[in-house]
Amino acid sequence: MDQNNSLPPYAQGLASPQGAMTPGIPIFSPMMPYGTGLTPQPIQNTNSLSILEEQQRQQQQQQQQQQQQQQQQQATVAAVQQSTSQQATQGASGQTPQLFHSQTLTTAPLPGTTPLYPSPMTPMTPITPATPASESSGIVPQLQNIVSTVNLGCKLDLKTIALRARNAEYNPKRFAAVIMRIREPRTTALIFSSGKMVCTGAKSEEQSRLAARKYARVVQKLGFPAKFLDFKIQNMVGSCDVKFPIRLEGLVLTHQQFSSYEPELFPGLIYRMIKPRIVLLIFVSGKVVLTGAKVRAEIYEAFENIYPILKGFRKTT
Amino acid sequence: MAYQLYRNTTLGNSLQESLDELIQGSLNTYRFCDNVWTFVLNDVEFREVTELIKVDKVKIVACDGKNTGSNTTE
Repeated sequence: MDQNNSLPPYAQGLASPQGAMTPGIPIFSPMMPYGTGLTPQPIQNTNSLSILEEQQRQQQQQQQQQQQQQQQQQATVAAVQQSTSQQATQGASGQTPQLFHSQTLTTAPLPGTTPLYPSPMTPMTPITPATPASESSGIVPQLQNIVSTVNLGCKLDLKTIALRARNAEYNPKRFAAVIMRIREPRTTALIFSSGKMVCTGAKSEEQSRLAARKYARVVQKLGFPAKFLDFKIQNMVGSCDVKFPIRLEGLVLTHQQFSSYEPELFPGLIYRMIKPRIVLLIFVSGKVVLTGAKVRAEIYEAFENIYPILKGFRKTT
Repeated sequence: MAYQLYRNTTLGNSLQESLDELIQGSLNTYRFCDNVWTFVLNDVEFREVTELIKVDKVKIVACDGKNTGSNTTE
């Protein structure tokens, strides 16, 4: 279930900002030597990958990789770049969760540092696991908050819920919903009389869903015919630390169409990335908050996009 | 100012102070309805200058002190 604790699937799917294939990305084009000097290997083969990776991969993703391999064999170099990035995401999601676990974070974040196959776009990429220091940041944003909604599918009597449920608040003069909390996962829910509910505070997608289900069960036990319709994650918030100070003034000068920085209003620079559509709060300390994502991959992609830019504005004093 | 805490709660972005208390282990449950707070606390010490009373469970029912005017909540 929970790939949430393992970042690699998403992180791996990310190409560098230019979308170029890098060794950091798990590459599934076994038959694209194009001067790599490496013979394409069938997926089951053990190249120079570590035994551990081979084992994990074989255990998990043989079939999936075979499909990708076939697809890529038919792709042109240009098309490979597109398809690979897609498949990298697919393959990565199935492929490397354990690889990531087995590796320390000190290596490149994309467990694809152990690229299974050489990228056709980088002929000089060795098959042996490389640490692409420049391509990937080595930092993975941590999810801090997930907001989701679900429809319980029936009208609710909020007063009944507030009086009979534990840990509930209801002040209709101030807000027309019951505010309920549970301890595990530690979340807060806003429950409306229409039967719709908002669940906030979870740290992962699965926890958000689990929490929403727990709230639905509470409502159900109070006698309402609650269902669990249209669960949807509406927003995800992540944060991380690049570990160096940043020259926000310089960043806003060069990226003015994306940034807004008003230190007298707010100490952080607000960077509105277009692709993916994520808002980043960047602070002088080097801490970064990313929000507006519907899926985890957008957070990771946005951070991988911003990291080289932030490095360029590192404070040297 | 009096409703600042509640405003946070309304947005659902609260620090979940209530849950924090839960985690600290003392607050068992809380309820707010019809402008009445009900708390259930565990392992409470009531300390007065001369006396110390320990109880396993305390139920606190608290109503608003000042006159809240019209309180039609229908």
